[in-house]
Amino acid sequence: MAVIEWVRFLAGAVFLLCGLGIFLIEMIGVFRFKYVLNRMHAAAMGDTLGIGFALLGLILMNGWNFTSAKFLLVIVFLWFASPVSSHLIARLEVTTNEDEEKHYRKMTLRELEKTLAEEAAKNSEGEEES
Amino acid sequence: MVKGIVGLDQAYQAVFVAALIFLAVMLILCLIRAIIGPRIADRIVSVNMMGTMVMVIIAILTVMLQEGYLADICIIYAMISFLAVIVLTKVYMGVYQEKKQKEEKEDGSN
Repeated sequence: MAVIEWVRFLAGAVFLLCGLGIFLIEMIGVFRFKYVLNRMHAAAMGDTLGIGFALLGLILMNGWNFTSAKFLLVIVFLWFASPVSSHLIARLEVTTNEDEEKHYRKMTLRELEKTLAEEAAKNSEGEEES
Repeated sequence: MVKGIVGLDQAYQAVFVAALIFLAVMLILCLIRAIIGPRIADRIVSVNMMGTMVMVIIAILTVMLQEGYLADICIIYAMISFLAVIVLTKVYMGVYQEKKQKEEKEDGSN
């Protein structure tokens, strides 16, 4: 019986530490990226994967009871809430940014296809010359 | 956490306390990011991150103290931090559009 308890503790601790590691990676990403729309990409990782791992470890430690069901509810709620809030923040940034050329460019899908085709043609020409 | 097995209680306690200290350090780093973030969206992103980390802290305390009702607080915290992001983005977008309209009106009168 003691062995099973120890195994449960170890599994839970490993999951919890994985979650904390994800939080560390998230923090490094948020400090290293230079612009909000890049930073948001790193920050969204902790909302789903980090808290998912951490709460899964706590569920393993806690056993199967009503508290664990509430933790599961938190995880599932964040799956839905995190993309919505990311979308809203991105829209706020794109709406209020005055000097957008410095950070990103807006184009329609057709323009993007054209630009990509031109770049591909340029690359293939460069390869033939070399 | 009282399991009655030699060493297991101390091991649980050590892991929980270590995780809590780590998350506290991360929270302070988040706060620094929120203060130095050059744009409003930066600050909202870091406040969102702080909400996630506080949720994990509350969940760890739930298991550490064996108090089931703290899990309810965790759920409510998740919902309120989501609502805070929605309200903040709407408010700042409204402020921006109002400013823009005022500028256009002044340009028109000149």
